[in-house]
Amino acid sequence: MGFTRFLIVKTFSYAAALIATVSILYVGIYGSLQKVILAQASYEAQQFQQTLVKSAHGSLSQAQILTQVASFKASFLDQFGFNQPLPVKFAYQLYHLLTFQFGSSYFLLAPNGSKVISQIIVAYLPNTIVLFTTGTLLVVFFGTMIGLLAAKSVGGKLDKSIPFIAVIHASLPPFWVGFLLIAYFAYSLNILPSGGIISVPPPTGPLAQSGDFLAHLTLPLTAFFIVNIGGFGYVIRSLVVSTMGEDFVLTAKARGISDRRILFSHVLRTVSPSIATQSVLAVAGSFGGAITTEVVFRWPGLGLLTYNAILSNDLPIIIASTFVLTIVLLLGLYIGELLYGVLDPRIKAG
Amino acid sequence: MLILLLGASIYVLVGFPPTIASQWGNPKQWQGNPQNSPPQWVGYFTPDFPPTIGFPSVIWTNTAPSGSQDYNFSHTFTFHWSSTKTPSNIVFIPRFNGTFIEAAITWTKPDGNSLILYIGNPTTNVNYGVSDPSIAPWIQQYVGSQTDTTPSGVTVPEEMSALFNRDGKSLLNSSVLQGTYKLRVDMLSSGQGAVLSTTFLSINGKSYGLMGTDLYGRPIQLGVLLGLPWALELGALTSVIAVLFGVIFGGIAGYLGGSKDNVMQWISLVVLALPALPFLVALSYSIRLDLISEAILISALSWPFYAIIARSVSLSVKSQTYVEADRAMGVSSMRTFFTHFMPRLTPVSIAYAALGVPAGILLAQTLAFLGIQPQTVVTWGGILDDAFIQQAAVYGWWWWVLFPGIMIIVASLPFVLVGFALDKIVAPKVQAK
Repeated sequence: MGFTRFLIVKTFSYAAALIATVSILYVGIYGSLQKVILAQASYEAQQFQQTLVKSAHGSLSQAQILTQVASFKASFLDQFGFNQPLPVKFAYQLYHLLTFQFGSSYFLLAPNGSKVISQIIVAYLPNTIVLFTTGTLLVVFFGTMIGLLAAKSVGGKLDKSIPFIAVIHASLPPFWVGFLLIAYFAYSLNILPSGGIISVPPPTGPLAQSGDFLAHLTLPLTAFFIVNIGGFGYVIRSLVVSTMGEDFVLTAKARGISDRRILFSHVLRTVSPSIATQSVLAVAGSFGGAITTEVVFRWPGLGLLTYNAILSNDLPIIIASTFVLTIVLLLGLYIGELLYGVLDPRIKAG
Repeated sequence: MLILLLGASIYVLVGFPPTIASQWGNPKQWQGNPQNSPPQWVGYFTPDFPPTIGFPSVIWTNTAPSGSQDYNFSHTFTFHWSSTKTPSNIVFIPRFNGTFIEAAITWTKPDGNSLILYIGNPTTNVNYGVSDPSIAPWIQQYVGSQTDTTPSGVTVPEEMSALFNRDGKSLLNSSVLQGTYKLRVDMLSSGQGAVLSTTFLSINGKSYGLMGTDLYGRPIQLGVLLGLPWALELGALTSVIAVLFGVIFGGIAGYLGGSKDNVMQWISLVVLALPALPFLVALSYSIRLDLISEAILISALSWPFYAIIARSVSLSVKSQTYVEADRAMGVSSMRTFFTHFMPRLTPVSIAYAALGVPAGILLAQTLAFLGIQPQTVVTWGGILDDAFIQQAAVYGWWWWVLFPGIMIIVASLPFVLVGFALDKIVAPKVQAK
């Protein structure tokens, strides 16, 4: 009963957060968005004029064509509530954003040659999710392990090295780590591909293809891992150390339960909701790094797409990918929050 | 270390002309430097990278006899060459107002042999390397006079051999003469008003300075230095704004509790869910970036992290009996907040302010790497972006990648260390019940 309530409350709160984030985004990009829509309208009107001229075979006068084109453009702008008062305009344009109708890009194309932005995004998004999810899972898993092991022997070698790697975490630029990894593993040792997602030409056979994919995934994942593991391990260590001082741990020790078992079943069980919270924070914090990691490794995800869009000044793509990334991040936070609900027994109890 | 960084950035702010940052993106400014050269100290390990010897600008004196209509500005440059390899080029860029009829460069080798290179009607701000059509024939002629056969053409390495090798029949194949070389430059003008300003003269080896140069000949050491004040200013400003706002927001949220706390937590969630990097990229198209606006934008997106921490501190203070005592005595809530909560929150905020600086630096450099930065500043992220676009990793130009990245770490490290140390001191007090 308690969990259902929790679920409903959280879902509502995140849905509201989605609307709020998108609104903030909208306010931030308002000026550029209007420019983009105007440019889109002109582009569509031009296309319309060309087809009109072709299909009319001279049966329409120049003036007639121009009136038709003008009315086409006006109706296109009406779709976006262009000449409406601001609140109506906001509703119209928000609706377009929320239903993923981004129009078409200026220059960049989807792999199938389409200029429709939603198709471009669909082509790039899965790669981002693969990289980011695997990376986060790895960091959470190994970070928890490291934190637990360090806390097990406070003052030990591992425990002493944890602040050191946390310091590295706080000062290493992810894209730079990627650079060094590429220079060393891809060009100096020549054992791993330097970038991209699949070799050109792609190998034949599903086994060889997935092997190739994994080889391409290794370096970006390593870069993401190196940069994020330290901070996460540090946080988990402090959590575990503070829990180790609790009475129930002492009781368990008095009952003669082995240290290992106390650590992995008693302590881990207690801190796991906090780990879920920390994972949520880590996801939010490492998101920017993941984007630049994609750029350095030419991993065809939304980060690389955004970078290419910056280089070619493709504003609609930038707006659309920012929007989609916001949703992805919110979804990640939401999943983390639900996990917290599952892990924390107090919530089930209501 | 912190003092060192501050000292270095003050040195940059005071010691360099403010225009130099805007010249960074202008390739013409750097044309005289050797391109893609590793740092000079590489020369200690292998003789293949002779150093670059640049000459500071000099005061030119008129050596023409008094009463003469002509002007002859001349100066003798001397340098010591100790490498066993020839340099890659000699660059002479005269900069002047008015007209000069001729520039004559008298090149004297350590053994006393000399040759003269003439440039007729030199143009201001033009790069006269040895391959320049006005200089090459003179070297060609010199090769001919030494080896008895005038070659039909000479390559730049051959020209450098002619200028640096032991004279004789096998001029182009003999060894490099080590010792003191003399370069006398005469600038001749027949009329009034020709004035020499700074003139660039450099013996370009195959290595440059402390950190090498990039594809455009820009010294990495200069870029690294120029990036420092900006990075520190931005990091400090971002951290102060974000921590101040975050701590007050989170502190109040924890203090108030209940539904107000829920709403405030939800607001932090909303901001937390805005992906900072793409959001800033999108915003940079509507907002003109400068120090203040970039700092405000970054801190507007990073304060929730501090708010979450401050809230938890605030919650732990709230459970203390003295807070209840205050409430029971009817002390105003404002006063309770400032007397009991702020003293607990302040040390935490100082610790996180220290940690916020590297976070701000990192985010700003990441943005710069994506190409989002004000036009007129030099950033390490921007240098790394150039390196990425020019595929420095592929060609093995490690110095272009290594030093700016190390600088990011060096600038962040002191703040991180201070932050962690403070965090350790502050944290137990918070946890103690």
